Amino acid sequence: MNYTIENTLLYVEDLSVAYGPKMVIKDVNFVEKDVLREGKVTGQVIAVVGRSGRGKSTLFRALTGLVKPTSGKVLIANTATGLDNDAKEVKEGDIGFVNQKYTLFRNKTVYQALMFALRNNQETKEQKHEQIMQYLKDWGLESVKDQYPNELSGGQRQRTAIIEQIFCSGHYMVLDEPFSGLDVGNIEAVKNAFDLITASHEFNTIIYSTHDIELAVELADSIYVIGYPTIDGKLQDYGTIVKHVDMKELELAWKDFGLDHIEVVKQIKAAMMAS
Amino acid sequence: MKHLFTPFEKLTKNTRLLIVLFWIISVVVIWFVSSMGERHLFPSPQQVFTGFKELYNEGLVVHIGSSLLLCFKAIIIAVVISLILTYLSTIPVVKPITTAISKLRYLPLTGITFYLAIIISDARTMQVWVLVVFMSTYLTTSLLGMVAAISQEEFDHARSLKCNRWEVLWEVVVKGRIDHVIEVIRQNLAIVWMMLVTVESILVAAGGLGFLIKNSDKFMNHGRIIALQIVILGVGLFIDFVLDYLRKTFFRYSKI
Repeated sequence: MNYTIENTLLYVEDLSVAYGPKMVIKDVNFVEKDVLREGKVTGQVIAVVGRSGRGKSTLFRALTGLVKPTSGKVLIANTATGLDNDAKEVKEGDIGFVNQKYTLFRNKTVYQALMFALRNNQETKEQKHEQIMQYLKDWGLESVKDQYPNELSGGQRQRTAIIEQIFCSGHYMVLDEPFSGLDVGNIEAVKNAFDLITASHEFNTIIYSTHDIELAVELADSIYVIGYPTIDGKLQDYGTIVKHVDMKELELAWKDFGLDHIEVVKQIKAAMMAS
Repeated sequence: MKHLFTPFEKLTKNTRLLIVLFWIISVVVIWFVSSMGERHLFPSPQQVFTGFKELYNEGLVVHIGSSLLLCFKAIIIAVVISLILTYLSTIPVVKPITTAISKLRYLPLTGITFYLAIIISDARTMQVWVLVVFMSTYLTTSLLGMVAAISQEEFDHARSLKCNRWEVLWEVVVKGRIDHVIEVIRQNLAIVWMMLVTVESILVAAGGLGFLIKNSDKFMNHGRIIALQIVILGVGLFIDFVLDYLRKTFFRYSKI
């Protein structure tokens, strides 16, 4: 399993977010780089796990520019310039965000929502139509293209929300608990969606949170555990990254789930329980 | 039979219909029985029917038309004012003004009519603006509630699709809640319709149902009063039905 590390795609430095006097996350630092594998387009899949209330959703809102950090910064690769390691500070809309409820415009059909997501695209209307129809076919949404969100199943809503973000945002996508409440079939559909996204461009980066540690270990090539840190023997009441597992370094990334993966699951669960 | 008296019991459509019929027949029977003697509070069905005939011959339809016209004029102006205020309330500097207008719904009718009378001389225009002032406060209150009920996720979703703040306002609040606006109008219609009749009876201008009630009241014509109450209730319920029908027909996604 040969791979190389290239340009920095995501750089988070001393990120802190507070709501009033309440510090939610503090001193979050991590860097993710472009992973290259010979003969295969490989995007990045990053999982964030942690117990409830540790600040995963807040971290995601800060990563996507939806909440302004109290301190620190989030930089993403500025792929538009074509220069290596050219970075820019993240703004809302730079990183796609699919929340846990798969929110869509309630007054737009699937087709209308996707056309709206492409509104800033320079293509002609016919080209946009063809692109939408192709995605609807690939993602199994052709039959519901004229339906409104309240007429869709959870899985259909989620896929629509993901395509919207693929159309509108750049190479980054954040998904807050995409496997929550899904049945076996829909979980497989989301896994396929991950494959489709990561296989379509080297820079494509998926960041997702989950409470299913086995799924995190199975799918991600980089896993962050967010929890309350212990400083001087005292458990703090803000979230930060307490453990990072690089599945590539462990030579477990892009492999079928096996005994070695189970060992990682145990380590992650132990880190979560301690934080 | 026991299940008819059990809380949360699900009944068939026919059973529900039978229950409604039972209550309607009961009300009619009670009405007949209670108005049979020489001394009674409510007029007999015969008196009400006579009242209907008299009203019809005196131009009831024209009066209904006059009331409806006044209602639509006032509603359109009030809705436009309330919507503008509500949409602008998302701008922090405008928010206190909108909140203050919403609070004005506690002002009494008499005080407002006094000041409006100084500005406006024409009775019909006066009727319209009295209604507009009051309706705007109620509509603004409900519309502010509508905006407050929009989830943060909906705003975040629009922002994640590169919508600037004005686009978020347009897509999520304005376009995304048109069906809610119709529902707000429908819910406030009962207050408006009740006020309209009151305003017509206080400020006599171009007739209307309020004018007819006032006249009937003056001569203690109970049959006519109840007949008019039934007409007013019927017209109000009809407008309510039409608005609900329009919302469900034109906004398939609307499940309020």
